[in-house]
Amino acid sequence: MSARDRGVNGSDGISPTRARVSRRAFVAGVSAAGVAAWTRRTGAQPKSTITYWNGLTGADGKVMDELIDSFTRDTGIRLEQQRLPWADLYAKLQVAVPAGEGPDLALIHTVEVPHFANDGVLEAIDDATASGKGFRGDDYLPATWQGGTYQGKRYSLPLDVPQHILYLNVKVMKDAGLVGADGKPRGPGSRDELVTMAKRIAKSPDVFGFAIGTVGPGRYTWGFHNLLWQNGANIYTADLKRAAVTEPAALEVAEFWAALEGQHKIAPPANANCRDAFIAGKLGMWIAGSWNFAGLREAKVEFVAVPLPRLFKQPVVWAMPHQYAFPKVKTVDRSRRDAAWAHVRWMTDHVAEWTLKAGQVSASRKAHGDPRITGDPVLKALLSQAPNWQVGQPTPKWVAAENLTRPVIESVYTGQKPAKAAMEDLARQINALPD
Amino acid sequence: MLFAVYRLYPLLEGLRLSFTNARLGRPTQQWVGLANYTRLAEDTRFGVSLWNTAFYTVASTLPILAVPLVLALALNRGRLRGLLRSVFFFPFTLSVVTVGLAWLWLLDPVVGPFNYYLRSIGVPARSWLADPHTAMWAIIGTTVWWVTGYYLVIYLAGLQDIPRDLYEAAALDGASSRHAFWAITLPLLRPVLLFVGVTHVIGSFQLFGQVFVLTGGGPGDSTRTVVQHLYETAFQNFFQFGAASAMAWVLFAVILAFSVLQFRLLRGHTEY
Amino acid sequence: MAATPRIDRQSWALTVALLALAVLWLAPIAWVVATSLKPAENIIRLPPEWIPWPVTGAHYHEVLLGSSRTARIGRAFVNSLVVSIGSVVVVLGTSALAAYPLARMRFPGRDLIFALLVGSLMIPNAVLLVPQYVLTQQLGWLSTYQGLIVPEAAMLFAFGVFLLRQFFLGMPRELEDAARIDGAGPWQVFWRIIVPLSQPVLAALAIFAFRSAWNDFLWPLIAVNRPEMFPLPVALALLRSAYSSESYGPIMAGAALSAVPLLVVFVVANRRIVEGVRLSGLKG
Repeated sequence: MSARDRGVNGSDGISPTRARVSRRAFVAGVSAAGVAAWTRRTGAQPKSTITYWNGLTGADGKVMDELIDSFTRDTGIRLEQQRLPWADLYAKLQVAVPAGEGPDLALIHTVEVPHFANDGVLEAIDDATASGKGFRGDDYLPATWQGGTYQGKRYSLPLDVPQHILYLNVKVMKDAGLVGADGKPRGPGSRDELVTMAKRIAKSPDVFGFAIGTVGPGRYTWGFHNLLWQNGANIYTADLKRAAVTEPAALEVAEFWAALEGQHKIAPPANANCRDAFIAGKLGMWIAGSWNFAGLREAKVEFVAVPLPRLFKQPVVWAMPHQYAFPKVKTVDRSRRDAAWAHVRWMTDHVAEWTLKAGQVSASRKAHGDPRITGDPVLKALLSQAPNWQVGQPTPKWVAAENLTRPVIESVYTGQKPAKAAMEDLARQINALPD
Repeated sequence: MLFAVYRLYPLLEGLRLSFTNARLGRPTQQWVGLANYTRLAEDTRFGVSLWNTAFYTVASTLPILAVPLVLALALNRGRLRGLLRSVFFFPFTLSVVTVGLAWLWLLDPVVGPFNYYLRSIGVPARSWLADPHTAMWAIIGTTVWWVTGYYLVIYLAGLQDIPRDLYEAAALDGASSRHAFWAITLPLLRPVLLFVGVTHVIGSFQLFGQVFVLTGGGPGDSTRTVVQHLYETAFQNFFQFGAASAMAWVLFAVILAFSVLQFRLLRGHTEY
Repeated sequence: MAATPRIDRQSWALTVALLALAVLWLAPIAWVVATSLKPAENIIRLPPEWIPWPVTGAHYHEVLLGSSRTARIGRAFVNSLVVSIGSVVVVLGTSALAAYPLARMRFPGRDLIFALLVGSLMIPNAVLLVPQYVLTQQLGWLSTYQGLIVPEAAMLFAFGVFLLRQFFLGMPRELEDAARIDGAGPWQVFWRIIVPLSQPVLAALAIFAFRSAWNDFLWPLIAVNRPEMFPLPVALALLRSAYSSESYGPIMAGAALSAVPLLVVFVVANRRIVEGVRLSGLKG
């Protein structure tokens, strides 16, 4: 009684039930095959086709689709996309690539490069090949170009730069009297100014002055990283061997994190949806990702975006470039690999379109001078932060450390644990991560 | 017996993996003996998640058993049974993500209606899901809302199966309706209760979806469940498959013990 | 049965109370549906608006027609239907066939097999995922319907056996004995007597199995590599925007659409439960 008997094909005639089962499955199988064949016949016959996985769910996904269409028109190469939310995409890559079922091209985040490279999921990009295809380090901003390397080898090429920015809700700021002479709200210049301004906003009932993070500000590790970097601290020590979260600079940030909701009372609860709060006019100053502004425009909220203030020592801006990478395949098909390269080249050449429509500033400098880009106030503000971009440390344990950080900073935010004890606990956990 | 293959093989492979230091994507594995299990003993987060899961199971059993039962009894006595039954069943058709998102919005401390209405009647709003004391209860409440409909249908079928003459005879003997409940209804429903109870325990030890969407295991680790810990170990932090398998077997042992206990307690009298 | 006025009033009062509860009960669902019909800028507003006005079909349009080319919802819908129905049929057939011998016949190792089956229910699926993936790949079943149906059915098999065995144990033997005396073989006994009498249980199992297969996300996520074979939950996950900023409108529209088939299944199966209950109930 093999699976095949029970499944798609025939009936072994033993009992009506089983016949009905296999008949039903058979019909289903035939109709599915029929549909598949029909759709394939009505499709075009391209020069070559490659598979491409990315996590661009949401509005930028549609923009990517348009650009891919243009690319196919220009070159005749087709891209078969598989799009999944990022977390699911990474889990799938990790399972599929070792089994030889991975894609020809993938778009991932910078911080994923070290651990994927370490696990042998990505193929190294040889420098000669890269420059042969026209990719040179000078064209890129340092933070983005560095981010694609691990242990001296390059594994990816950056596309664009999602980053943090400070959003100000115009109405809320106006109500709190925090607008300048031109009627436009101003951001704070320092930590103390931030707290003062936020307290003024929070005087209105149910309105919050300041928040970091899209949903769940208590758990927003990217915001925490941003603040750490502003104070010259980081998750790991410079040699990437031990956790550095108990150093004084890091503790200072943790104390600030703890004070936001409990002491200063300017920030919403740890699990609040800051984005909804901002849109509903319940939040005045909001540090969040650049990918939010398209949604804010769609929701018709009046807001301005200003560069991140210097809350600690340096006005560092957290950035997480998207990177093109080539997952390992069992046998390299020359034509498919070349097609993938062609796509990356084309996208880099047309990246201004990507910036304008998807709102993500490019990693390559060349597009930065485009007047259409500098004409948009939000894009201009994002561009102005370029000298201050910083990315995560190139250790394969980065993502795991981040997952450990999340509940710890949440317990600090809610006051469950005092900052110092929590950071010491986090350091212990991070140091216990296996290699 | 095909299913034995499909189910048993992965199971045993899982057992074998728990004794290695396998990592997803790593081509080589090494036998490390009981190391994964001893490391589990030191892993305080595993202990915390085990405790949370057990707490959830115990705390939610009574509401899950009782709420649909009460509803079933009420529906049995009232009118419009068909319509009402469909209404209460409706939530069960939603996926866990939808349920999570809907309740996340409902309970949101800033823009959620629940707190909004509370505030308008003067009760101070709380962030239900961010407070370690209330978070688990909020999750239990959400789950009750979600699954009550299904158990309601089961209870109703069971109730309707009880012959009416028993009730009439009891009424003739002068028994109050409360007495009739304890003497007739409950005993005859015992097998249904057993089914609901065991199904619920099995499901609740595997609690993952609602928690992941509603609190992500927070605040801190106060709602973290074993399956979440397992999932993260297997698929996020390093893809440590060996360690994850060890976790699964420990969980299995715990559930087995729990279920044996439950069976003993409820098996009691099935002869009547 | 003469109903006295007191009892009648009581049952109406109860009904009214239940109706009130039912309205509250539906509140979260009302929000899901209302949100799916609101234009994007109206979705997040205080005080909460329960009745959407103006109404827009834009989100439904986006989900059904405009969604990313990498997963057409219509196709995903069909996939889910095939997989779910297939799983239900396979599970019903196999668990009934397995539960009957476990309940009625004696053979060595019977209890051990049953214990093993029940025990297997308690393993979280997450940990079986990778060995299952390897096995499926070796069978060449990745991205196929059987690759989705068989593991799903395998998962539900133990539960089905557990449920049905309980039920079969509680059925009075007289009917089967009578049939056997009349000369019926075991297959006919099974087919002509047991199955019709087990309709309510089979229906309950069908609901449970359909829902489990319909909503399964994790396995199809890694087991399917061709977007046109994605079932609905995976296709709908695409509506969750990157970086966890939700676009509520399309998500809620997708959620509403995906709840419909299960409702249909419920209505159909429920009638079976009600009919069958008169012949024999859910006994243990």
